[in-house]
Amino acid sequence: MRPMEQGLPAGEPAHREPILDVVGISQCFVHNGAAAAVLDHLTLRLFKGELVCLIGRSGCGKSTLLKIVAGFLAPTQGHCLLAGQTITRPGPDRCVVFQEDALFPWLTVRENIAFGLSGWKMSAQAQALEVDRYLDLVGLQGYGDYLPRALSGGMKQRVALARVLILSPAILLMDEPFGALDAQTRDDMQDLLLDLARERRQTILFVTHDVQEAVTIADRVLMMDREAGGIGEELQIELDRPRNRTSEPFQMYCAQLHQWLRK
Amino acid sequence: MGTKNTALALLIPLIALTSWYGVSATGLVPVYLLPHPATVGEAGLRYIFGATGQGPYAGRFLGDLGASLIRVLLGFSLAAALGIPLGILSGRLALVNRLVASAIGGLRAVPGICWLPLAMIWFGIGIKTTVFLVAMAAFFPIYQNALTGAQLVAPIYYQAGAMLGVSRLRGVFAILLPMAMPNIITGLRLGMGISWAYLVLGELTGVPNGLGAVIMDARMLGQTDMILVGIILIAVIGRGCDRLLLFMMRLCFKSARRQV
Repeated sequence: MRPMEQGLPAGEPAHREPILDVVGISQCFVHNGAAAAVLDHLTLRLFKGELVCLIGRSGCGKSTLLKIVAGFLAPTQGHCLLAGQTITRPGPDRCVVFQEDALFPWLTVRENIAFGLSGWKMSAQAQALEVDRYLDLVGLQGYGDYLPRALSGGMKQRVALARVLILSPAILLMDEPFGALDAQTRDDMQDLLLDLARERRQTILFVTHDVQEAVTIADRVLMMDREAGGIGEELQIELDRPRNRTSEPFQMYCAQLHQWLRK
Repeated sequence: MGTKNTALALLIPLIALTSWYGVSATGLVPVYLLPHPATVGEAGLRYIFGATGQGPYAGRFLGDLGASLIRVLLGFSLAAALGIPLGILSGRLALVNRLVASAIGGLRAVPGICWLPLAMIWFGIGIKTTVFLVAMAAFFPIYQNALTGAQLVAPIYYQAGAMLGVSRLRGVFAILLPMAMPNIITGLRLGMGISWAYLVLGELTGVPNGLGAVIMDARMLGQTDMILVGIILIAVIGRGCDRLLLFMMRLCFKSARRQV
């Protein structure tokens, strides 16, 4: 059993408000008749407004952890608390931006963004205004009536971001959301995400296998490791924002993560 | 639809018609095998617009069309009303699929024409037999395509729906059906096509009216021109029904309008 404190950053200021607690999560899959543990008593705490990246080789369980927090997957053991409430199923307080395009193909950009609002008590006019606001926020003014198939990969991810941000989730879960984009678009999307996150004090748990991306986005990088059954290493990124991707300290953080990944 | 598209759509029928004229002009084929297109055209006009009494089939068209349309629509609706829900359920719930797959697969292996004798014993000669045959035949493509459509919906869309606050029940209408819509429409179109085939089979049993009945009647009287009139009319009406079905689906469902 790992100590509870393992997931806590060193020198945590007293005023920080915990938002997500992952408590002793284990996840086993049956493979060739034998149970294989991907996560082994993993414990983790995220604070409000914190940007945390999970990084690791494929198969290390980073996506599994995200699915458990999202409520798509029930852990074999342990539980997750969001603002003190146990997570039992998916919900709008923990929205996911997926790597692949998961927009509804028969709905326009506007209708996709408004999808999560359909159960809300909100006048059509108020809803339209709100959708307009989020179209602006993600830089898609004028694209409201397009269908997803007419959009580029980057624009689709902007819609995916808008349709979850409009619900003001307590935590935003991102599963390699920019992994399929070209390098320039990826940088643009990272900048957009960071702008939005700062304005809204948005808590984000971000899965990536890209070291540069992790150092650009994260306050804290958690290196996941199959052998350790969870979080192997932890790195605070103490760089001022906006971060310069070509600066020497930035590169040093990248080098450190690369070294851990190669071990 | 520009004039160019219309011209393109008419190209093959025009070629067929021209070849038919050419073959008839040579006089090599006896007219009892293949009547001249003009003869068939006249028979068709008499059948559609003629006053009753001008000939054995004059002016019967509207009555036959009405009788046939009702049989097709009843049989097709019955097939759709059973096929879509059952297909969707089988595609989503492994238990339902295991329960019905072999029964439905077995029934499907039976050629539709084998049901004819049984249907005649059960329902007698008339509308019920035809509706039964049409429904039997149209059910399988509608069911199978709805099933495939439901199976093809990637889990990520249900996950996306669930995180956006869609309950499982509402997800059926908000996510599953719209996602499966292209396949459902393919099934309905195939079902509609086969409905016309089995309509004629059902009407061959000696009912007094209907487009299939006219064809059968004309064969007994040796009126090849009327057989051809019936065939051409069924082709035109069948095509019209297909377009109408697509138009209605697009009119009623956003997911059809934007995906098909």
